[in-house]
Amino acid sequence: MTSDTPRELLEKRLITQDQFTKIDVITSGKVVSVFYELRTLLYLGIMLFTAGVGILIYQNIGDLGHLLSIIALIVLTIGCFFYVFKNAPPYSNASVKGPTPYFDYIVLLGALLFISVLGYLQFQFAIFDENLGLITLVTSAFFFCIAYRFDHLAILSLAITALASFWSISISPQKWYEGDFFETANLHNTAIIFSVSVACIVLLLDKRSIKNHFTFTYLNFCALVFFVGAITGMFVGELWFGYLLLIYGGCVFAFYMARWKKSFLFLLYAFVSAYIGTTYLLAETILQDGAEIWFLYSIASCGGFIFFIIRFKSYFNQKS
Amino acid sequence: MRSAYNETGLYNLAVVKEAKRWCKQGLIEETQLAVIRENYVSSFYHPNLIIRILLFVATLLALGGVSGFLGLMISSAGESAYPVVCVVYGVASFIFLDKVFIGKNHHYKSGVTEGMLYHASGFTIVGLLWMFEFNEYVVLYVCFITFSLVAFRYIDLLTTICAMLSLAGILFYTCYNAAGVFQQIIPFIFIIAFGGVYAVVKKIKARPLLKFWSNNLLIVEGISLLFIYIAGNYLVVRELSVNLMNLYLEDGQDIPFAFMFYALTVIIPAAYLYFGIKNKDMILLRVSLIVIAFSVFTFKYYFSLGHPEITLTLAGAILLGITLLLFNYLKTIRHGFTRENHLAEKWGNLNLQAFIVSQTLGGNQTVANEPMETGGGGSFGGGGSTDSF
Repeated sequence: MTSDTPRELLEKRLITQDQFTKIDVITSGKVVSVFYELRTLLYLGIMLFTAGVGILIYQNIGDLGHLLSIIALIVLTIGCFFYVFKNAPPYSNASVKGPTPYFDYIVLLGALLFISVLGYLQFQFAIFDENLGLITLVTSAFFFCIAYRFDHLAILSLAITALASFWSISISPQKWYEGDFFETANLHNTAIIFSVSVACIVLLLDKRSIKNHFTFTYLNFCALVFFVGAITGMFVGELWFGYLLLIYGGCVFAFYMARWKKSFLFLLYAFVSAYIGTTYLLAETILQDGAEIWFLYSIASCGGFIFFIIRFKSYFNQKS
Repeated sequence: MRSAYNETGLYNLAVVKEAKRWCKQGLIEETQLAVIRENYVSSFYHPNLIIRILLFVATLLALGGVSGFLGLMISSAGESAYPVVCVVYGVASFIFLDKVFIGKNHHYKSGVTEGMLYHASGFTIVGLLWMFEFNEYVVLYVCFITFSLVAFRYIDLLTTICAMLSLAGILFYTCYNAAGVFQQIIPFIFIIAFGGVYAVVKKIKARPLLKFWSNNLLIVEGISLLFIYIAGNYLVVRELSVNLMNLYLEDGQDIPFAFMFYALTVIIPAAYLYFGIKNKDMILLRVSLIVIAFSVFTFKYYFSLGHPEITLTLAGAILLGITLLLFNYLKTIRHGFTRENHLAEKWGNLNLQAFIVSQTLGGNQTVANEPMETGGGGSFGGGGSTDSF
C-alpha cells in the first residue's frame, strides 16, 4: 500500500472516478480525521473529572463551598441529561447512531455524575438505610436503563460489572491477577450460576431481537466469569471432575457462540479453558511424574493444536 | 536487502487490507472489494488477531517443551557448552522458521512466526551474552544488532521498539562511562542524535523501496520524538542526575542549566503540537498530546499545591471543555482537519472501548470492599488508571 495505490486501482478500473476522488483525499492526507484523538481526550477528560469529583464531594462537608459544589454538580448532571434527552434519537431495538461524534460521551459523563450524586446522598442522608448492597443494585439498574435507552455499550458494561459486584463477583482481570476473584468461600458457584442465568436471559432477549448488538458484550462477560469460576472450582474443590465437565460444557456452548456471533474471542476462551482443564485431568490421573513427560506433553499437545488450526484454516477464516 | 516475505504478496495483502477498510466505511461496494481481492492475490497464511494470539501462545508452549528437552539432553555436556548450544539452537530456529514456515508454508505474521521469532532471538542473544560474560556494552550492542536485523528481515514491530531502546542504551552508557563533560551533555547528545534519526526517517520513508517497512518507520519516528522530549524534560534530567551522577542538591538548589530544561519541557511539546497541526502530521500530533500530559505532570510534581482532587477535577473540566469546543469547531472541515471518522482503526472497536471503560471508570467495587465506599460503583476507580491508553 503506497500513496499511489488508489490511482493504480482507478487505472485498473477497480474503483470509479467518483470513489477515487473521495478515497484520495483521505489517503493523501489532504484531509485528516482527528476523530479518535478527540474521543480519547474526551474519555480522559471524563475519567479525570469524575475521579476528582468523586473525592471532592466527600471533603469539607458542611462548608458553604461544599454545598455550592454539590449544587453545581447536580446542575451539571441535569444539564447533561437535558442535552441528552433533547438530542437523542428515539428508542429503537436496533443499533442507533448518536447525532454527534461526542454524544455518547455526554451520556457517559451524565451517568457517572448521577452515580456520584447518588453515592453522596447515601453518604449524607442514608437514603438506602445503610444497605450497601442495595445501592449497587440501584446503580446497576440505572446503568441498564441508560444503556438501553441511549444504546450505549460502555454503560452496558458498567451495568453488568455493577450487577456482578452485587453478587460480590468482581469482573476485573487486574483483580483476578492479584487473586481477588473470591472474597468469600464458594463464590465460584455464585459466579457460575450468575453467568449461566445472565446468558439465558440474554439469549431470550436476543431471540426477541431486542438490542442484538448487545448480546456479544453480555456473553463476553458471562464467558469470562463462567470459565474463571469453573476453573477455580476445579482447583479448590473436592468435586474437580464435576467442574471439569462444566468447563467442557461451557466450551461447547462457547464454540457455538463463536460460530453464531462470528467472533473468535469465544473460541479463544474455549480453547484456553479446555486446555487448562484437560491438563489438570491428566495431571490428576495418568501423568504423575517426570519432567520429560511434561515436555513431551507440551510439544505434542501444542504442536498438534497448531497443526489442527492450520490444517483447517479455511474453517477458522470464515470471517475476518 | 530483502525481507523474508514475498514482495508481491506483501503488497497485494496491504492493498486488500486497505480496500477492506474502505468497504467498511462505505467508500466502495462489497462487489468491488471481491474483485479487488481477485486481482490482488497473496498466498500468505495470515489469520485474524485472535487466532494469531492462540497460535502464538501455543507456539511458545510447544517451543518451551522442545527447549526443555534439549536442556535435559545436554545437561551432562558441562557448563562451557551451554552458550554455544544456545546460539546454535537460536540460529537453527531462525533458519527453520525461514525455510519451513515462511518459505514453504507462506506464513506471514501468523502467530507461529512471532512465537518462533522471539524464541529464536531470545536464545541467540542470551547465548551470545553468555559467551561474553554479560558485559553491559556487549549486551547493548548484541541486542541492538540482533533486534535490528530481526526487525528488518521479518518486518516485526516489537523488535523495532527493542532495537530503538538498545540504541538509546548504547548512547547513554557510552556517554555515561566517558565521564566528565560527556555526562553533562547527555541530554544534548540525545536530542541531536535522535533529531538526526527523525530527520533521516522523515526523509526516506516515502521511498517506494521502503513501503513494506512503513509501520516500522512510523515507530522509529514516534520513539525518536519521545526520546528528544525525554532528554530535555526537567523531571527526567533532574532525577537521573541525582540518582546516577551523584549530584547532591540541597534545599533551594537546582540542577545546572535548570532554566533551560524548564524551557525545553515547555517548548518541545508546544513545537510538536504546532508543527503537527501545521503539517497535518498525525505522529507529531499524537506524540505531542502524550508529552503535553507529561509536561503538566512535571510541573505539578515540583510545584504542587497539594490538592490532587482539585487538580484532577480542574484538569478534567479543562480537557472536556477544550475537546468539546474542538468538536464543535471542526463540524466543517477546517485547515484540513475533520471531526468525522474517516477510516475505522483496528483498535477503534466499540466492544473494546466498552471493556476499557468498564475497567477504568469504576463499577468494579464489590459490595464487601471497604465500607467507606458508599459510591457503590461510583467514581473511585478512575484515579490511577490513566495507563490504559
